[in-house]
Amino acid sequence: MTVAAAGETGQRVLTPTTGRVLKRSLFWVGVVAFLAIIVVIVLATAGSQAGGTRLDASNAAPPGTRALAEVLRQQGVTVTETSSLRETEQEIADPSGTTLFLYDPNGYLTAAQLREAVRRASTVVIADAAFDTLQAVAPELALAGYAGGTLDADCGLTPAQKAGKVTSDGNGYRIVDESAAVTGCLGSGDGVYSLVQLERGDSQLVVLGATSALTNEHIVEEGNAALALNLLGAHESLVWYLPSVDDLADSAAPDLGSLTPPWVTPALALLLLAFLAGAIWRARRFGPLVVENLPVTVRASETMLGRARLYQRSSARLRALDALRIGSVRRLASLCGLSRTASVDDVVAAVADVTGDQAAGIRRILIDAVPSSDAQLVVLSDELLELERAVAAAVRP
Amino acid sequence: MAVSGWFVALVALGVVPIVLTGQPVVLALWLVLVLVLGIVDLLLAGSPRAVVLSRDLPGRVRLGETVSSSLYVANTGRRRLRGMIRDGWQPSAVAAPDRARIDVPRGERRAVTTTLTPFRRGERRAAHVTIRSFGPLHLLARQASIAMPGAITVLPPFNSRKHLPSRLARLRELDGATSVMVRGQGTEFDSLRDYVRGDDVRSIDWRATARRKDLVVRTWRPERDRRVVIIIDSGRTSAARIDNEPRIDTAFESALLLAALASSAGDRVDLLIFDRRVRARVQGATGAELLSRMVSSMATVDPELIEMDWSSVPGLVRSVTSQHSLIVLATTIDAPGASRGLLSVLPQLTRKHTVVVSSVTDPDVMDAARDRATRDEVYRAAAAERALLDQARVAAAIRQLGAEVVTGAPQDLPPALADRYIALKAAGRL
Repeated sequence: MTVAAAGETGQRVLTPTTGRVLKRSLFWVGVVAFLAIIVVIVLATAGSQAGGTRLDASNAAPPGTRALAEVLRQQGVTVTETSSLRETEQEIADPSGTTLFLYDPNGYLTAAQLREAVRRASTVVIADAAFDTLQAVAPELALAGYAGGTLDADCGLTPAQKAGKVTSDGNGYRIVDESAAVTGCLGSGDGVYSLVQLERGDSQLVVLGATSALTNEHIVEEGNAALALNLLGAHESLVWYLPSVDDLADSAAPDLGSLTPPWVTPALALLLLAFLAGAIWRARRFGPLVVENLPVTVRASETMLGRARLYQRSSARLRALDALRIGSVRRLASLCGLSRTASVDDVVAAVADVTGDQAAGIRRILIDAVPSSDAQLVVLSDELLELERAVAAAVRP
Repeated sequence: MAVSGWFVALVALGVVPIVLTGQPVVLALWLVLVLVLGIVDLLLAGSPRAVVLSRDLPGRVRLGETVSSSLYVANTGRRRLRGMIRDGWQPSAVAAPDRARIDVPRGERRAVTTTLTPFRRGERRAAHVTIRSFGPLHLLARQASIAMPGAITVLPPFNSRKHLPSRLARLRELDGATSVMVRGQGTEFDSLRDYVRGDDVRSIDWRATARRKDLVVRTWRPERDRRVVIIIDSGRTSAARIDNEPRIDTAFESALLLAALASSAGDRVDLLIFDRRVRARVQGATGAELLSRMVSSMATVDPELIEMDWSSVPGLVRSVTSQHSLIVLATTIDAPGASRGLLSVLPQLTRKHTVVVSSVTDPDVMDAARDRATRDEVYRAAAAERALLDQARVAAAIRQLGAEVVTGAPQDLPPALADRYIALKAAGRL
């Protein structure tokens, strides 16, 4: 028995302490924190430069319309931004003194919601009305595709007349129902207009295709500013309504979230946490593995099996049979008491003597027969075994 | 740090207050509670680093036997150490139980006993001890691995020792046998005794008969103090597995049986394990020390995947002994090509010594040569016959060069080699 003892000094702890782990990972924690700060800065500055929501009254980027909204406010118009129909209805206190600006590029609103919105104010400006919007609120109009360039104000509408010329980069509309009270403006030829006003009793519905005229980028060109200010500043109050996802919830049936009891979500979250804890419980290994070099296990008979498959694949029947015959001849020779050097002819003669069979038949089995198929090979191999058995039985005392 | 199943259960238990109250805020409260309990538990757990470990190991064990290893854990920390401990042994040492519960009060020492039943020969090592220390609530644990090397030498099993008594009895029959059996060159004169009917009349000592006036015969005994040199091939062919035992292990078994037999017959046994360099050498040991030194030197030898260097074997034998001796070469005779090296040095050895080549035969090949029911089996039988023919050719070539050949299945080879030794001794050829 040997006793191996390690003193307190000789004992080496392999697991690093928490402090050392922290110290070691300090560099990478720093790198990740640095990258995170950079990402935050980039995201924060990127928002003010490019993009943003198009035609958003608080967006100072080129596609926004903040400049227009600010000028309107300076002129004493109350500009209110809304993002849902319910909010819009609340904001419109006096329908006759309110202009509603509606821009729904994502098609959040249904036909019913659109009709409801249009009914709310005396002047409604729909920017970039799409096909289904027109179907719902202005069936007199049809979408006529792209209409661009600098357009002349060639109609009786005050905002257009004051503007004179307007640059357009948007949709054009064609009037399909001539009998209705419709005024087309900013025509680009062939009956296509970028500004159409429809009279609906005491209220007006304006469909504006030249929306780029309102944006921060283009509002200073030609008479764009005059068009925008006169169109949207006619009343003392302007509601700038950009429909959002909130409008979907209003229209859809009550979803799963509102039907389930309030404890379901926290309970699910808790069970997920319990699952994570369980994963850590089972996955935490009890110390590192102990390494060991193991030998490769290869059976010695692999080479024999490989040779057998080679014989079989190349149909080397005669070669295979000869191997079997040599083994049989050797065993037969020792059974008949012949020496190891005895020739095959001697063995044939001795076997014929012992069994009393014809030497020719024995010679056919041991030497002459050539197998032409695998079936014959099997038969010949059986005959060899039979012959050995017969000789063994014959020489047994 | 490690988590217990109780901790997981505690987290999951939070479902009950959440469902009962229906308030989402309960989730946050419950998590804070669990976290506080966990941190308190972790702070109250004993340090798994503040321990002093020591081992009590038996140095050697025979393959297939079981030994127990003790690990002493002394708690030098400020708190009680409660939890689990794992002694990190290599998988083939088969340590049981794999992990054990410990509870060591402050300043005290406890023993953890692990039983080892190794299934591979050689040196089996332990690398480290891992301790997982739980707090009083058994929720969270501190865990640390401490380097604690240990090793145990697993000796060859020497299963063939069951053949030893019968072979020793046959050896004793040789001893003092009359010349009827053993008369021949080299047998030594032992004693004179009265003639009994049936003794060979040629062994009557006429001079003694004249003195005694009674018929007296001479008896002989086998020669003593002959030399036996066992050379085991640890090259690539010895790595092959036959009947789930590498050839080298069979060679070890036969060498051990032969050495036990020869040393009790009064012969000197030397062992060399060789491939391109001497892997182990046992020289000049006698009696019980011989077997002990043989098994220790064999224990750590594994076959190397290199070709055996037969050309340096004659020089190696000369370095061991210059007198006539029995040389046993435990190797493989497989195919004429692979055995060329062996065949080329045999004449140098047989000129001066009696040489026996022992080789393992594969029972699978024997079986395959007999089974011929289907087409696949006939081809397999043909390949097996071919392999047997190759072996027979090599064996014939070895016999022609004046050496003897002993072959057998793994369990038959050791007694077959012992029998050949007894036969050679009886014939006075040592």
